[in-house]
Amino acid sequence: MDTISEVRITEAVPIAPAKRAPSPIAQVWNFFISVKLAIFTLIILAIASIFGTIVEQNQPPEKYHQIYEDWAFALMNRINLFDMYHSWWFLLLLVLFTTNLTCCTIDRFPKMLRVVRNPRTKLDGNLEKTLSLSDRWKKKGTLSDWAAKYSWTLTTAFAKPKVTEEGDVVHLYAETGVASRFGVYVTHLSIVIIFIGAILGNIRGFKSYVNIPEGEEASHLDARGGKEHINLPFSVRNNRFWVETYPNGQPKKYASDLSVIENGREVLRKTITVNDPLQHKGIWFYQSSYGQAGDVTAKIAVRRPDGSPAGTLSLRPGEPIKIDGYGTIRALNATENYLGKGPALLVVVEKPAKPTENFWLLQQFPEQDRQRNDGLIFSFGGLGSKMYTGLQVAKDPGVNVVWLGCILMVIGISMAFFLSHQRVWVRLAQGQDGRVEVVLAGAASRNRIAFEKKFEKILTDVKAVGQ
Amino acid sequence: MSNVILFNLTTVLFGVASALYLAALYAKNEKISLVGTWVCVLAAVVSTAALGVRWYESYQMGIGRIPVTNLYESLVFFAWSVNLFYLVVEWKYANRTFGAFVMPIAFFTMVFAVYNDSSIQPLVPALQSYWLHAHVITCFVGYAGFAVSAGAAFMYLLKSKQETAKINEGVVGLLPPGKTLDDLIYRAIIWGFPCLTAGIITGAAWANYAWGTYWSWDPKETWSLIVWLVYAAFLHARVTRGWYGKRAAILSITGFATTVFCYLGVNLVLSGLHSYGG
Repeated sequence: MDTISEVRITEAVPIAPAKRAPSPIAQVWNFFISVKLAIFTLIILAIASIFGTIVEQNQPPEKYHQIYEDWAFALMNRINLFDMYHSWWFLLLLVLFTTNLTCCTIDRFPKMLRVVRNPRTKLDGNLEKTLSLSDRWKKKGTLSDWAAKYSWTLTTAFAKPKVTEEGDVVHLYAETGVASRFGVYVTHLSIVIIFIGAILGNIRGFKSYVNIPEGEEASHLDARGGKEHINLPFSVRNNRFWVETYPNGQPKKYASDLSVIENGREVLRKTITVNDPLQHKGIWFYQSSYGQAGDVTAKIAVRRPDGSPAGTLSLRPGEPIKIDGYGTIRALNATENYLGKGPALLVVVEKPAKPTENFWLLQQFPEQDRQRNDGLIFSFGGLGSKMYTGLQVAKDPGVNVVWLGCILMVIGISMAFFLSHQRVWVRLAQGQDGRVEVVLAGAASRNRIAFEKKFEKILTDVKAVGQ
Repeated sequence: MSNVILFNLTTVLFGVASALYLAALYAKNEKISLVGTWVCVLAAVVSTAALGVRWYESYQMGIGRIPVTNLYESLVFFAWSVNLFYLVVEWKYANRTFGAFVMPIAFFTMVFAVYNDSSIQPLVPALQSYWLHAHVITCFVGYAGFAVSAGAAFMYLLKSKQETAKINEGVVGLLPPGKTLDDLIYRAIIWGFPCLTAGIITGAAWANYAWGTYWSWDPKETWSLIVWLVYAAFLHARVTRGWYGKRAAILSITGFATTVFCYLGVNLVLSGLHSYGG
């Protein structure tokens, strides 16, 4: 916007003020293209955003009731203060903001483009008056000679000038950093693109959450607080979840070994950690939380007397497990150290028509159960608990549009702030005393202090051109 | 922990530099402020070394990571950025009076840092990402730019009173002309603003990679947006509505106040996902 205001000041042809009052449509249009509105919207958005950081968002109603009086709760709920950033009025502010910057662009961009395409290559008296940087002098010699010399000097000292001959006057015009004029439009466009990406993600994407216990898979998700159900075209299995810690006990890594299963086949396997998600078919899985899935279980390895394995058991406290053709086994108690012999499990074995057997299994002595001379030998593999991994699941087809907008924004802002549209004019005219009258003038769209120094240098170079 | 000793030395140097710049103003003595500049340069060297040593020491502890991940580290990094930004400004504008207004910001930041836990803690899993570097560095360079701008704005408000009264005396008389200060208010912001923009964007990219959502209206995110909106308003007001001088200075100071709240206030007062201050 800087660009246009400056262009207006220096170059716009003064238009006589309209006598009639503008039409209602023009009034609405003028409202939406005003920078005053932009500043107002920016400040109002900033102030409104503060409320959502003071009032905690999206908490259960009970929590708000604890903090606020009933009347305050009713009022705040009424104006959506508990989910403020998605309320109609906040969205309306964003729409106003977007409309404003779109209208500003529509209004100003064509004007700017015209100015850039048809620069004022001739330094006439009107233009000269608006330029603060200028100098004039006289030289002996011919007009065409000096025009050629200065043209060459300007090329080396600044940029190649465009030469316009007009009777006994020659105009030179050179410019650099025209891109600076486009920076503001690139920036405004980038904001619109980011909003389009965000809307796309809201409509076509989803955010969800799933807990998968170790060894199990999931293909069904709830989204939007359980209002929507999503069936993935594949399922995800949690092979294992684990936590690594630093020597001081702080968590170092949360990791889940995941497999993607499609039509019963594993098509992808990856260990995900926080900051390293898994992606399949545009759906992302993020390590988000974890916990214990169910009770602590005791692991028992079962073998036959010849040593061949007959399976493993996971015993929950007190729950009997039936072994076909044998009987039932259940765990009664466990201890870290049984009679100085390390961890042990107290089990009860019941067989049909036989007395109940109670005995301890020692983890460090797997062969100890052979002394029962039974049909099956049990050995205690330790206590364990199954973990579940908590995964954030997201699909966002708009995210790349958002990144495009972000990149454009950085480029646009850099163009607008770090480039400067610098212009230099030279006018050579045949004077009445036979000498050539020279006027050198310059302007910059920003960073005028730096340009002043540059202009001094150009002036020195041009003046130093010899006969 | 030799890094902490070096940071403590930095604190002292910032204090000495601030005192020298202030003394130079009172005594109207350019030589004193020249010493101040050299103290600032020395402080830049010492604090850069301290950051390097701290980084190295974290590797020796087996938890190697960039030293910008808790309140102590972010404070010293902020002070480091302000000092460097200031030295560039002093050199560009060839005026040493800024030091009296900017270096105390660095000094008091370091004093505040000294009262915080300076031990090197390992990184929690959420912070283990290369985005951390880009995100923190861009944000803090942005913050430093806003700090310098606010310092210049404060000077401008002092100076403009004298200029309107057409007097030029005392300490204020030594300050650069109002036009120069006004230019610095603006220029520091046009460096800070793109950096803050990049900081918000890298933060969003990181959040998306870690949590699957690039914007979740968490208080820190929201406050960074508020800061961005205030400076966006500043830039529009200045460029198209001719907000120069006093109004620009007040807006710059307002912007810096929101920046400080975004940086510290959010962590100390509100809750959220950002790690320091907890």
